[in-house]
Amino acid sequence: MALIQTLVLAAAVAAALAFSLAARASSATLSSGSPAPDFVLKSTDGRNLRLSEYRGDVVVLTFWASWCGSCPSALAELNAFAAGPEAGRPVVLGVSLDGDAGRASSIAQSLGLKFPTLVDAHQAIGRLYDVETLPLTLVVDRDGIVRGSWASAPAPKTEFNRVLEEIGQ
Amino acid sequence: MMRQPPESGRTRWLAWATMLLVAGGTLVTGRAGAEDPAQETRVVDQDVQDLKKQLLDLNRDLFKLEEEILYPSSTQVAVFLSLNVGEFFKLDSVTLKLDDKEVSNYLYTEREVQALHRGGVQKLYLGNLKAGKHELVAFFTGKGPHDVDYRRGASLSFEKTVGAKYVELRISDREAAMQPEFVVRQWD
Repeated sequence: MALIQTLVLAAAVAAALAFSLAARASSATLSSGSPAPDFVLKSTDGRNLRLSEYRGDVVVLTFWASWCGSCPSALAELNAFAAGPEAGRPVVLGVSLDGDAGRASSIAQSLGLKFPTLVDAHQAIGRLYDVETLPLTLVVDRDGIVRGSWASAPAPKTEFNRVLEEIGQ
Repeated sequence: MMRQPPESGRTRWLAWATMLLVAGGTLVTGRAGAEDPAQETRVVDQDVQDLKKQLLDLNRDLFKLEEEILYPSSTQVAVFLSLNVGEFFKLDSVTLKLDDKEVSNYLYTEREVQALHRGGVQKLYLGNLKAGKHELVAFFTGKGPHDVDYRRGASLSFEKTVGAKYVELRISDREAAMQPEFVVRQWD
């Protein structure tokens, strides 16, 4: 009995290590099932926000820029989800890839965005997330894992809602 | 479709194999002691808790081992940051330069500042340096007295010897001047 328990323990430890290695090996691109890389950025209201501090909440992350034509419609749709965790809705964080915080702020104000706008002035976070086309919207679950991503256009409502339902939002 | 590296396939295969072994082992142990289900549940629960603890211990040991390999004590330099009161300064960010090269630029969230106020000490930077003379410069930005934007620098020239070098950046209040004070000091 003791031998079996020891074997089980050893196997479980080996499994944990092997899964960890497999996760590292396959994390080259950010896709569904990948951990969302942590970052901290300054928002247009002056606060510094760190993604990992929202662990436990579902986070909708959207990358946008002032020169992106389809970004305003994507941002307008996400505004409906911006009520915050206290209302049982996902936390929405917008990441502007504009180099100018003032420009990002004025656009966010003109669109009436209710969620924080983070300014990625040097596009460092954009590179971290392999942002190639805008807008890019990601759904990150309570454990910090990406569960859905949509690029180039606003996320289709049915698909977006299905992903949120799957992760219990 | 991205091709996965061969290591990934091997490790996944290993993972599945070990998971099957775990499942098999659990089944065997489950059958062996299935006489009293409640008792067995308690035993399994205890085993799971023990397993979790051992995994955490293993993770901690691996972390320490990684640190010892990547940053041997002969070349290690670590910079820590602490706050003492902080009534006259609200920390926003710290930029650290070692020998005129930026090595860290850290933005602090509200929660992190609160943790520092509660006595937390943050390891801001961990790296390697050759033995010899070096200069560390830290730039602190935030809000000073009367909520005015505040930026201040502090520097330290130090001699790196064979042992690990620990440097502390401390922000405290200078009550008499009603100004924040930024101190860089070495730990002996």
